[in-house]
Amino acid sequence: MRRAALAAALTALTAATACTEDVTAPGHCPDFCPSRSITGVDTVLQTVVQRDSAFRGFVRPHEARSLLAATLPGVIDGRAIVLLVPVGQRLVVGTGGDTTTGAIVGVDSLRLTVTITRRDTSAHNLTLVYYRLPLDLDSTKTFADLAGAWTTADSLRSLNVDDLLAQPTHSALGDSVYVDTLTNRVTVIAKLDSAMAPYVVADSGKAAFGIRVVADSRASIGLGSVEAGLGPLLTWFAEADSVAKDTVPRSSTVGVRFDSFVFDLLSPSVDTTLDSTLAVGGMPVARSIMRFALPRLIRDSVQISRATLVLVTARPPEGVPADSFTLSAHGVLADFSAKSPLSPDPSRVATTRVHIGIARGDTVRIEMADILRSWQIDTLAPTTLALRQIPEGTEFPEIRFEPSTNVALAPALHVTYVKRFPFGKP
Amino acid sequence: MSRTGRRLVAALFLSVSLTVRLAAQDSQFSVRGLGVPGRWESVRARTTGGAFGPFDPRSSVADVSLADALQLTATAVEATTYRRAEIGGSRDDLRSSRFPFMSLAGPLSRRFVVGGGFATYLDRTYSIVTRDSQMLRGAYAPYTDRVGSDGAVADLRVAAAARLGSWIAIGAGAHVLSGSSRQTAQRIYDDTTFLGTTQTAVVRYDGFGISGSVALDPVRSVRIVGYARSDNRLRARLGDTETDRVDLPTTLGAALRWSPSPSARVAGTVAWRSWSDAGGFNTTSWSAGAEVGAGPTPFRLGVRGGQLPFGPGTAAPTEFGVTLGTGKSFSGNRALVDLGLERLVRKGGGLTETAWTVLVGLTIRP
Repeated sequence: MRRAALAAALTALTAATACTEDVTAPGHCPDFCPSRSITGVDTVLQTVVQRDSAFRGFVRPHEARSLLAATLPGVIDGRAIVLLVPVGQRLVVGTGGDTTTGAIVGVDSLRLTVTITRRDTSAHNLTLVYYRLPLDLDSTKTFADLAGAWTTADSLRSLNVDDLLAQPTHSALGDSVYVDTLTNRVTVIAKLDSAMAPYVVADSGKAAFGIRVVADSRASIGLGSVEAGLGPLLTWFAEADSVAKDTVPRSSTVGVRFDSFVFDLLSPSVDTTLDSTLAVGGMPVARSIMRFALPRLIRDSVQISRATLVLVTARPPEGVPADSFTLSAHGVLADFSAKSPLSPDPSRVATTRVHIGIARGDTVRIEMADILRSWQIDTLAPTTLALRQIPEGTEFPEIRFEPSTNVALAPALHVTYVKRFPFGKP
Repeated sequence: MSRTGRRLVAALFLSVSLTVRLAAQDSQFSVRGLGVPGRWESVRARTTGGAFGPFDPRSSVADVSLADALQLTATAVEATTYRRAEIGGSRDDLRSSRFPFMSLAGPLSRRFVVGGGFATYLDRTYSIVTRDSQMLRGAYAPYTDRVGSDGAVADLRVAAAARLGSWIAIGAGAHVLSGSSRQTAQRIYDDTTFLGTTQTAVVRYDGFGISGSVALDPVRSVRIVGYARSDNRLRARLGDTETDRVDLPTTLGAALRWSPSPSARVAGTVAWRSWSDAGGFNTTSWSAGAEVGAGPTPFRLGVRGGQLPFGPGTAAPTEFGVTLGTGKSFSGNRALVDLGLERLVRKGGGLTETAWTVLVGLTIRP
C-alpha cells in the first residue's frame, strides 16, 4: 500500500512538472537578441505595371442589371426603355379552374410597376416621366433613333416619387409607392389610363414605354431590369367579353420582353471612345487589363505585409454622389487580354470605393496584398489584373487612369514586405 | 534478460523516444552563439553537482564509467525548469520541461561493457520578443518581432569500457551529433492594415565526435578518472543547403572520488572545453559533491561552477549551482527513482538568470 502511494505520488509529480512551456521573453538587444533580425522594406515599384490597355463592351445596356436613367445637364441624358409582353387578344374569364376565355374589347386602365434600385436621396422632387415608345424596340436602338418619342408633348404623364412617398396612402391619381426597408428599393406603381396606353387589337396589346428621371438638381437612378429579376411589370385592367358570366376577372399582368436604356452623351468629358488611358466602367462597360512584371524577389522570397496599387486619375467620373461605385482589381485565370476569364478565388479580388467628386490627378489606391500573396503561392497564375466596376452595368460614370506609357504618372505598386529571414546562421 | 526485463527496457525507450523535447535546459544565453551546452548526467550525477558524472555508469561524461555497469541498466531523465531572467530592471519568468538524457548499458562479458544513449549537446531553444517601429508610408509603424528557435543538437553515443585490471579500466565512445531546431521569425504590426508575417524553417545539424577515458584506482577507496573528447564540427543545413559550419571544442576533464566508507562518497571534477574553436569563450567547469547512504534511499548534494561559452562582451558568462537529491529503489533494486532539485545562477552581460530545476530520473535493471 505504501509503495502504491509512493508510485502515485511520483506519477503525480512527473505529470505536474511535465508539459509546461513558456520560453518567450522580451529581448534585450543587442546583447541578448539573435544576431540576425527581421528586415522590413517599404518601396514603390514604379515600372511594375506593363502592357496595360482598356477594352469596352463587357456589359451592354440591354444586358445590364439596371436600367439607367439620368439627367445630368451638360453631361449625360439617359432614359430607360421597356417593351412589354403582349397581353393577347383574350383573357381567361373563368374561375376555379375554368379556362374559358373572353375577347378583350377595351381597357379601363393600366398600372406600370418599376423598381428603383438606386437613387440619390439628396435629389428633391425626384420625378419619373413616362413616354410611349414605338413597338420595335431592340438593342440597336439609340437615343437618337427615339428622338421623336422624347418630346415633352409625347410624355404620357409624370410621377413625383418624393410627393408620393410623403403621402399616407395612394395618390388621387391611383399611383402607389412602396419602400423595401431591407434593400431600400422603391417600387413605384404608376396608373395609366386607356388614353395613355390604348389597347390595339392588331398589336395584341403590345406596349412600350420610356422612362426619364428629373429632379430639382441632377438626377440619376437605376431601375431594376429583367436580368436582375426586377424587371418592370404592366398590369392591364381590361374590358373582356364575359361570355354570359356574372363576374369575371379582368386583370392580367405581363412582364418584359425587352428592356434597356439609351443615352445621349452631352460632353466630351464622358466620351466613350477608348484611348491609351485605362478606362473602367461607363456604358458599354469598359475594363482595363494590367500586367505586372514583378521582381523575382517579390515573387519568390519575401513576405508581403501590404501592397497598394496606386492609380492616378486621368479622367474623373461624372455623376451624382449616389453614382459612386466600387472599383475592383480582379485576378484572372488566364491572360487572354480582353477575354481573360476572371478568377473565382476571392483572395484574388481587391476593391476600393470611387466617389464622385474625385478630380483629375487624384490617386486611387487599391490594397492588393492578398493578390500578391496568392501570386506567390501559385507561381503559375498570370500576374494580370482586370480593373472593373462592381457590379458592372449599374452606373453611368466611367473613370480613367493614367497608363504605364505615361511614365511620370504610371500605375505603381507600393509594397511593404519582410525579407527572407537568414535561418541557419548563428 | 527475462521477458519482463525486456518489456521494461522497451517501455522505457518508448516512453522517452516518443517525447519530442530533448534539450537540457533553456537559457537566455542560448540566444547568441551555438547555444547552451547540455549536461551528460543522470539525475544521480546531476544532484551531486555533476561531480559523480565521470564515475556514474548511468551518465555519459566518461565512457570508462560503463565498466561499473555489471547488469543491464536503462536510465531516463525528465527535467522541469522554472527560470527567471533579470536585466536592466525587467524580470521575466519562464518555464520548460525537457527529457535531456537517456542511456542504456550492459555487460557483454565480465570485463567488457557496452552502452549508448542520447544526451543534449547544445540547447537552442528560445523565443525573443522585441518592440520597435519603422517609417512606413510617412508614419512610424510600431511592430512586434518574435524570433524563436525550438530544438537542440543531440549527442547520440555508442561506447564501450573494459576493466583491464582491478585498478584500471578504459573506455571509448563514438558520438554522432544530430538534431534540428524549428526556427520562427514573426513580425506583427500594430496597424492591422499591414499584414503580419511569419517565416519558419527547420534547421538541421550534424557532427561527429570521439571520446576516451581511463579510470585508475590507486587505492581501494580512491578513483581517479581522466577523460577527453574531440568533436569535429557542427554543420547547419537548411534543406539541402549548408548554411553554417563551425568547429566544435575539445573537452578535457579529470575527476577524483573518495569513498571513505561504503555509505559515503565524495567527488570532485574539473573540465575544460575549447569553445573558442566555435567562436565562444573557452570554459572551465568544476563541481564537488557527496552521496551519503548506501541503502535504498541515499542522500546527495553538490555544487558546481564554471563558465558558459557564449555571451555578450569580452568575458564569459558564469554559472553557479547547488543541487540536492535522493533516490528510492523498488523491486529489489530493479527499479530506481531518483529525485533532485537544482538551483542555478547564471550571470553575464548584465543578465542574471536564476533557475529551479526539478529532476526526475527512472532507472530500470531488469
